[in-house]
Amino acid sequence: MKTVKSDMSEVLLNVENIAISFGGLVAISDLSFNVHKGEIVSLIGPNGAGKTTAFNIITGFLKPNSGSITYRDKSLTGLAAHQVAKYGVVRTFQKTSVFDGNTVIENIMMGLHLNGRCKVWEVLLGLPRVSIENTRLEERALEILDLVGLSNRASDMASDLAYGELRLLEVAIALAAEPALLLLDEPASGMNPSETASFMKTVSKIRDEGTTILLVEHDMRMVMGISDRVVVLNQGEIIASGTPKEIQNNPKVIHAYLGYGDEDA
Amino acid sequence: MAEFLQHILNAIVLGGTYALLGIGLTLIFGIMKVVNFTHGELYSFGAYMIFMFSAMLGLNFFLAIILSMVLGVLLGGIIEFALLRPLRGANIDTTMLVMIGAWIVMQNLEQLSWGGVAKSINHPFPLDPLVIGEVSVSWIRVFVFFFAVILIIGSYYLINNTKLGKSMRATFQDRDIAALMGVNINRVYTATFALGSGLAATAGALLGPVFVVTPTMGDMAALKAFAIVILGGLGSIAGATIGGFILALAEEMGAGYISSGYRDAMGFILIILVLIFRPTGLFALKERYG
Amino acid sequence: MSRWISILWLAFLFSIPLWMIDLYVLHILINTGIFVIAAMSLNLLLGYTGQLSLGHVAFFGIGAYVSALVSLGFDLELTDTYTFVFDAKPVWIAFLSGIIAAGLFGWLIGRVAFKVRGAYFVIVTISFAEVVRLVSLNWIDLTEGPMALNNIQPFTLGIPNLWEMTLYQKIPNYYLVLVVAIVCYILIRRLVHSRIGRAMIGLRENEPLATSVGVNVTHYLVIATVISAAMAGAAGGLYTHYFRIIDPDIFLFIYTVTMVIMVVSGGKGTLAGPIVGGIIFGLLPEILREFAAPEMQWIIYGIAMILIVFFLPDGIVPALKNWWKNHRSKRTDSAEMDAGT
Repeated sequence: MKTVKSDMSEVLLNVENIAISFGGLVAISDLSFNVHKGEIVSLIGPNGAGKTTAFNIITGFLKPNSGSITYRDKSLTGLAAHQVAKYGVVRTFQKTSVFDGNTVIENIMMGLHLNGRCKVWEVLLGLPRVSIENTRLEERALEILDLVGLSNRASDMASDLAYGELRLLEVAIALAAEPALLLLDEPASGMNPSETASFMKTVSKIRDEGTTILLVEHDMRMVMGISDRVVVLNQGEIIASGTPKEIQNNPKVIHAYLGYGDEDA
Repeated sequence: MAEFLQHILNAIVLGGTYALLGIGLTLIFGIMKVVNFTHGELYSFGAYMIFMFSAMLGLNFFLAIILSMVLGVLLGGIIEFALLRPLRGANIDTTMLVMIGAWIVMQNLEQLSWGGVAKSINHPFPLDPLVIGEVSVSWIRVFVFFFAVILIIGSYYLINNTKLGKSMRATFQDRDIAALMGVNINRVYTATFALGSGLAATAGALLGPVFVVTPTMGDMAALKAFAIVILGGLGSIAGATIGGFILALAEEMGAGYISSGYRDAMGFILIILVLIFRPTGLFALKERYG
Repeated sequence: MSRWISILWLAFLFSIPLWMIDLYVLHILINTGIFVIAAMSLNLLLGYTGQLSLGHVAFFGIGAYVSALVSLGFDLELTDTYTFVFDAKPVWIAFLSGIIAAGLFGWLIGRVAFKVRGAYFVIVTISFAEVVRLVSLNWIDLTEGPMALNNIQPFTLGIPNLWEMTLYQKIPNYYLVLVVAIVCYILIRRLVHSRIGRAMIGLRENEPLATSVGVNVTHYLVIATVISAAMAGAAGGLYTHYFRIIDPDIFLFIYTVTMVIMVVSGGKGTLAGPIVGGIIFGLLPEILREFAAPEMQWIIYGIAMILIVFFLPDGIVPALKNWWKNHRSKRTDSAEMDAGT
């Protein structure tokens, strides 16, 4: 049901031998995988496997003890989070994270930060290009809201949104930053089946518009239904990688999720 | 050389009481994450209490000190219960603003009650100093030093060897987990604030007879307390103790060899330097950022 | 609707000297106006960017002192043989120097203080301000210390050789302060309604989210601090050339506290907040002066601050806005009920 893109050969993100420990606890021992342009890749694994930590490292919120992250040809290792975003790698957060005190459209405008060009002195002098830019950004914000299906909530306060709408808003804010690579951290958690189904369509749309997607998700329907590839993380390292079908039948993966032994199978 | 030794001796004596100030604040700041602007006011409260009991009411000097300590603890508990407990869960800005409000009220109440004139307090110790070789120290300062040391040891014991201390340490590490493990956070917070305030009041009661008592004496004390906490690292009693002595030493050396006008500035300069070069302090137990 | 309110309000403000006979009241208004400008500047850093900077009075004081020193001229004995002589400059140059000096100091604080966050940041900012105060108190050669800098010239406006006016009297000073306040208001409003302002608000609301979409934290914190400091420096310059005497007491922590009370009680992060808070807490001492000793005033301030934090945590302006919104929706509800909808 998914078309395999022909330019999938270009490696967008290359994660090599990432390792990180907290105190004496090894969170990630050896993480290596890559993501090709145009793919939807899911990173799955039991709780505590280190998936969000991996996201934090890739996007600059945490520094790894060793290993490297390369995006296109540039090294992301050790860069600050805002610099990673500038390169076009944007993430969402596991715990719902929006700008509570602002309206929905203001939230998107804030996500459009990198899209703007006006400098401080231009703003202070009240030059016409500032209001021109504001108008342009507002139009762009409405486009994004349209894409995720939140247009009707544009002027509502973010705090008034239902849970499912908030998760959509989160994705919309990330989209505003125009990522070439979008990292979604459990975006469907807490969604009911119909919300999840419609969200899956939205994610596909986003990929079709040209954004590569790396997904951390527990909802197996979504993972299996939407991913081109699945990468399985367990106890700090990758134990399997392949198409959803291959992963479903992989004994190592089954062990990891169900525990040792086939007595339960 | 004699001058140098004298400075060292002065610093040691002063450092003891500074340590009390610092320990009180590091507990409050560390465990409760409250920017306690009333800490200085508890210090001056202690000084005014000993003035009232000893100089005005003529009570026994040592009894007056004990009374001042106890009242300091009580006042701290009241402040925590009335102002901080209702705001449990608010962010650090909010509690800080409330503490600023309380500080303003307390200091001006003191000003109204006692007037702005400096008060001096008599003490039962001989006025002729104790002379050891080329240096000398007044007996009251000797007493102050030993009293402070006893309290420092007492605080250390409380934190490390009592049930309450264990609860306080658990709350310091991770409040949510401590609560899950059965620690009564409300009680820990009230006890922490009361104890910390009591230590500040004691420092004031001890130093009141050494210097003079004015309504604004708390301001400098508060800022020095913050310097000590930052120097020694948040939440560390050992750190606050050593920090107290380091600050006293820096002040004595600065005042003695650079300029007495900048004595009070030493604390601030130390804060800024430590935060630039070693933000975790000398003995920090937890991360400093965010 | 709100446009009309603004116009009426401005017209009212401009008209005051025409009918206010009591010059003492004008004096109060000028003083309040200067504090309102300082409060607006603090609001940018505290309210919009969410940084608890409690050293703000340092920027105010540096603006005041630099402006005073540049307009008076000074000499500094650097070594036994060499004395650095600075000739007096026209007041408007002095005023600009004060703004620039305050802004520079803001930049310095920004770069250093933001290495730490939260409560430690608060303490660093207080420490900086105290160090500046102690320096101004002790560096007597430059600042005259507690002996104060006096005989500072008032503002002189105009085009040289064409027309000049020296602002000795209260009425022109009132207009000067009013104009500067309006300019500052406009600058802040422009800032807030731009991507720069949105970045600052983003940092305040949700810093990780803001960084994840590319907001450079340090860069914007420093921008906020520099602009905020420069504006406070402007307020300081106005103070200097109106009161024409300044001493190190200008750096007292209590003035930072006053500004914080103004911003927080009015409503941090709103445009009108510091103005409302500034007017209330600028005029309050005068009203209270009749009945209460200065200590009593401060006690009332302290209690007011505690009460506002407890009952109106967002400040007066947002509370009023909410009340207005509820009031209007109640009216439409009851109108609908009457109409039988």
